[in-house]
Amino acid sequence: MANASLGESSLAQPPLTQRPAGARISRRGLERLDLMLLSVEALDLNGGEAMVWMAAQLGFGELFPNRVELWKRRCYNPLRLACRRGELSEPETDALISLLCALADRLYPMLRQLLSSTEPEAVTGQRWGLFQGRLEELIRERLNPRRGGVQKLLDPAYGPQLRRQLIHGLAFGAGQGGFDRLKASLMDASA
Amino acid sequence: MKLSYRFEQTSCRLRLDGLPDYSAAQGQDVIGILTGWELSLAGHPALEGKREHLAALMQAVLPYARHLVSGVPRRFGAQDSPVQIQPMEGEASLTSHRVLVRSSQPDTSPLELAFDDAELSDLVRCLDQLRLDPRVQVDFELPAERPLPRREILERIPLRQRLASPLAAMAALAITTSIGLMLPVPRRPAIPSANPAVSPAATEARPEAAVDPVP
Repeated sequence: MANASLGESSLAQPPLTQRPAGARISRRGLERLDLMLLSVEALDLNGGEAMVWMAAQLGFGELFPNRVELWKRRCYNPLRLACRRGELSEPETDALISLLCALADRLYPMLRQLLSSTEPEAVTGQRWGLFQGRLEELIRERLNPRRGGVQKLLDPAYGPQLRRQLIHGLAFGAGQGGFDRLKASLMDASA
Repeated sequence: MKLSYRFEQTSCRLRLDGLPDYSAAQGQDVIGILTGWELSLAGHPALEGKREHLAALMQAVLPYARHLVSGVPRRFGAQDSPVQIQPMEGEASLTSHRVLVRSSQPDTSPLELAFDDAELSDLVRCLDQLRLDPRVQVDFELPAERPLPRREILERIPLRQRLASPLAAMAALAITTSIGLMLPVPRRPAIPSANPAVSPAATEARPEAAVDPVP
């Protein structure tokens, strides 16, 4: 999959302080948030650097000054190999969601290609295969293979549906308008 | 002065016509009164209508997208609403979506549109651009985005999977109980004989033990 260019983002997110205060995102929500960020990295070979660059563009330079600080926040995902206990504060989760929305906006043409049914089937299959390969590589590298959630992601029966859900989340959460939709979805009650 | 704004996203283009509402102290470049709109979707007929039709479209499509992100799409829009959206039946329920548009013109049959995920996300992004544009100050009465309650999320899990845990627990309880019933009941201790010569001695011993002084 082509590497997306780091063009000037047209996204100007409103300051987080204007957002209505709400409940914190659960561990389950943090898990989905990190998996979507992992999907962004699978779609964009330069995703890790793009995240730090985008964080600075959105004004989150103090929260995420480098990759290590970003990684420390993402380690609240319970599926991580180096998992951290506790919960993230609301400004931190809001910043991560804004970052994800901006990255998804940048990658939207790619997400659209994956979801489109008008493209030739062989080409779409190849795109999904490439995404699957990269995502599974990142999952094996960073997530705990003993966790049921990770095994499900790598399972040939459940994997495709879960990967489609991650791409759905990115496509419908892309851009400034996707922030509230994605945040509300991450705060869903756990089944 | 008539204003016209366009919002575009890949396969979707929305044109909005309107006027500023000077009674609400709006600026010259703000649409406060919507006079008309036209939605062009690649591969589908163009839609147009009034303010209430656009509001109905937004009230159906945006909550539908919200539920789709959570993996539980369901029908939005009442039976008599101008716009109704629901997932396709069968295996394509998560990838294809059916939109039913009812015309306000008499003797016009409803128009059915089938969208794939890409077309729907284009439409959603176009509507997002519209609702977040400060140049459009029209109240579309959109519900706030809220986390879904547990009962709506449970629909995502198949019934068999949902019932597996309680059924396994009940089976385990039944097995444990039946094993317990199979164990022999311990014999009762021998009942003391009803000999009047022995029983007074036994009854006398008890008070002594009870009044045994504590050192």
